[in-house]
This record gives sequence, C-alpha cells and structure tokens, in this order.
Amino acid sequence: MTLRDLVVVRLGVAVNLVVGQVAAALLLPVYLDTIGTVLVATLVGPRAAIVAGLTSQVLNAVLSGNFTWLPFGVVQIVIALYAALAARLGAFRRLGTAVAAGFGLGIVAASTSAPISYYLFGGATAGGVTAVTTVLRALGAPLPVAVAAASYSTDLLDKSLVFALVAVVLRSLPRQMAVRFPMLAR
Amino acid sequence: MIGYVPGASALHRAHPYTPLAIATGLLLMAFAVSAPGAVWVVVAAAALFAASAGVLGTVLRPAAILALPTWVLLTILHGLLGGAPHVMLGPVAFSVPGGERALVFGGRLAAILLAFLTALATVSPARLVEAMTARGVPFGRVYLLVSTLTVVPRLRARVRQIVDAQQCRGLRLGGSPLARLRALGPLVVPLVLSALAEVDEQALALDVRGGTARGRRTALEPPEDSRADRAVRLAVLVAVVAAYAWKFLGAGG
Repeated sequence: MTLRDLVVVRLGVAVNLVVGQVAAALLLPVYLDTIGTVLVATLVGPRAAIVAGLTSQVLNAVLSGNFTWLPFGVVQIVIALYAALAARLGAFRRLGTAVAAGFGLGIVAASTSAPISYYLFGGATAGGVTAVTTVLRALGAPLPVAVAAASYSTDLLDKSLVFALVAVVLRSLPRQMAVRFPMLAR
Repeated sequence: MIGYVPGASALHRAHPYTPLAIATGLLLMAFAVSAPGAVWVVVAAAALFAASAGVLGTVLRPAAILALPTWVLLTILHGLLGGAPHVMLGPVAFSVPGGERALVFGGRLAAILLAFLTALATVSPARLVEAMTARGVPFGRVYLLVSTLTVVPRLRARVRQIVDAQQCRGLRLGGSPLARLRALGPLVVPLVLSALAEVDEQALALDVRGGTARGRRTALEPPEDSRADRAVRLAVLVAVVAAYAWKFLGAGG
C-alpha cells in the first residue's frame, strides 16, 4: 500500500465513523457505517478496503466502549470484497445499477451478520435491529427467523443507500481529482 | 465514553500488550463456556481484572449503561417470549430455558465490556504506540490506529459547518423519514469530497516526515516487556487453548 493509499484508508475509516453518527442524528433506521469501506474499495481496491473496514470496527469499539461489535468485523471484510468486485464490474457507473448492487450486498451482509447475532449474542445486539427482532418474536416468529428477518430488513435498505451515496460521490468527483485514482478508470 | 485513566497499578505499569492479551483472553473464554454459572465466573474474573487495576468503579458505570438495554431485550426475547417450561413470576410466565440463555448471553456481554473497558482504562495510547514501534509494527498500522482518532473530531466539526451552510440554503433536517433521507446527500457528498480533496496534501506531509522510510523505527521510550509480562500472556494463551479443547471434547460447561 502506498502512502497515498494509506491516507485514503484513513479517510475511509473517519468517514465510516462520522457518517454513521450523521445517520443516527437524522434518526434514520440505517447505519451508513460502511460508506468509507465501499469508497476505499472503489478508489484503491479490496485490500485497502478490508484494512479500512477492520480499523473502523476496532476504532468504533474504542470510541463507543461497545466492544461487542468486534465480531462483526467479518461483515466489513465481506463488504470490502463485494464492493471491490462491484466496482470492477462497473456497478457504480449508474445510480440504478449501484442501488441494485447495494441490494445484493444487503443480502450478503445480512446473511453474514445474522448468524453472528444469533449464535454469539442470542439475537440481542443493539439498536433498531433488536427492536424489530423483538416485535417479530412477539408476533410468533421463531427466534432464528426473527433475527434473520430483522437483519435483512435493515441491511437491504442500508447497503442500497450506501452504494447509492458512493455512486453520487464518484459522479461528483471533479475530473482532475478522479484521474488521481487509477482504480476508477478500470 | 471512557479513555485512559492514569494510575500506578501493576496493570498500568505492565507492557501494554499484557492488559490487551488478558482482555482478549477473557472475551475468548466467555465464548468457550456455555453454562450460566461458568459464564458468570468469567464475568467475575473480568471484574477482578478491573479491580486489580483500581478501575472497577470507573468501568462499572459505562459497562452498565452499554449492557442494560441489551439485558432488557434479552430478558424479553428469551425470558418472556421463550419456550416451555415456564415459572410464574407474579402475573408473568417466565421461560426457564430462555432465562438461562439470557443469563449466558447477558454474562458474555458483561464480561466483554468489563474486560475491554479495563484494557482501555489501563493502556496509555502513547505507551502502546511506543510498544508497537519497538516491536517493528509497520508505520502504516500505527498511523491508521492513532492518527484516525485525530481526524474524527475534525470531520465532525466539518459536518457541523456543512449542516449550517446547507440549512442556510434551505435544507430541512426534520420531517418524514423520506425527507430526512433526502437530507443525507447534501450532507454526506460535500463531506466526502472535501476530505478527498486533502488526500494529496496529507500524503505529501507524511512523505516529508519520513512516512515512506524503510527500515525499523526507533522507539524513544519503549515499555519494558518483563518476564512476568510474558508469563502472564503465556498463561492466558494456555487457559484459552485449554478452555476450547475442553469445549470441543464435548465436556464444556
């Protein structure tokens, strides 16, 4: 990784940490804490995106004190790899394809996070997802089904939105700034 | 929520890797056991870890604040909505196996929070950087972990500036979920673009400070890694391996 890549990774981590708080301040039912990871995947590549994702997970735990989020670092790796592949296939060139690819990531991310949530934490993690799980469980859904459904419902919206926002950022990049990221030209 | 708490305990004086190794060991032990009693023994060990550093009082409050909402949800999910057999607690039917599961998951959460908040309170970031440098950890990793923490407040301040500027242009942050969703673009896009504009300048600043220099860096004041430190870390490793060997041999309690 070059020094410039390292600076982009640091930027990605900071964006992950700050934009997640913007979403929380707007009382939106999404996390948006992977925008930086996806952005780094499109600008630098999968390896840098994995570093950005894992560093975000560790620093998020340090800043919030909630270290139970650490096992979800696996999800960041999956997101980094998927986003890099989507970028290589040109998914971010149009808003429609970006949202569709984000929807696909939602399925993949939820399929990864739901088992962690169920097996390691009994379905009770934090925030809105667990509230959805509780409502579904109260309606009679078995716990594994409730945990999975809650994960899918939040991740599909969250990841579609993340991909859409990254597509808008990439389209808004001034030409002289865009040419400095060779990954974008591929 | 909690940061380094200066102190003179053995854990404060230990090599920074030692409290981190103990915290990681406690996390792994919490998942190695699955009976409520065994999990709460790990919680007691985590509390002892905090008490030995003299920070139990400091870490208990944030740990309770972080754990309480999840404990409540666990009680509802597993205790009140759990399967038979049930016991009557006044007018409420409480699931016995569900209650046990809630105790296990709630205990794991408590152990993880107590262990890592204690590590956070006892490991000085400056000493950790020195220890990592002395161990030959690549500059990039040290830079990412430490330097990003200084960027976050700057980006937060920029978010406030962008919010003010966009509100002056008529952006509304309240209203329906759809209206709030629409507000995201005008906030996030300028934030990311302005940060990307600084990339080259920051890379250059790092370069002139020797960021690309090869070779091992010299730590100015490397923390001592004593024989006792290494023995404690080895004991943690042995305990964790033994716990998982016990678990996978089918005798885990």
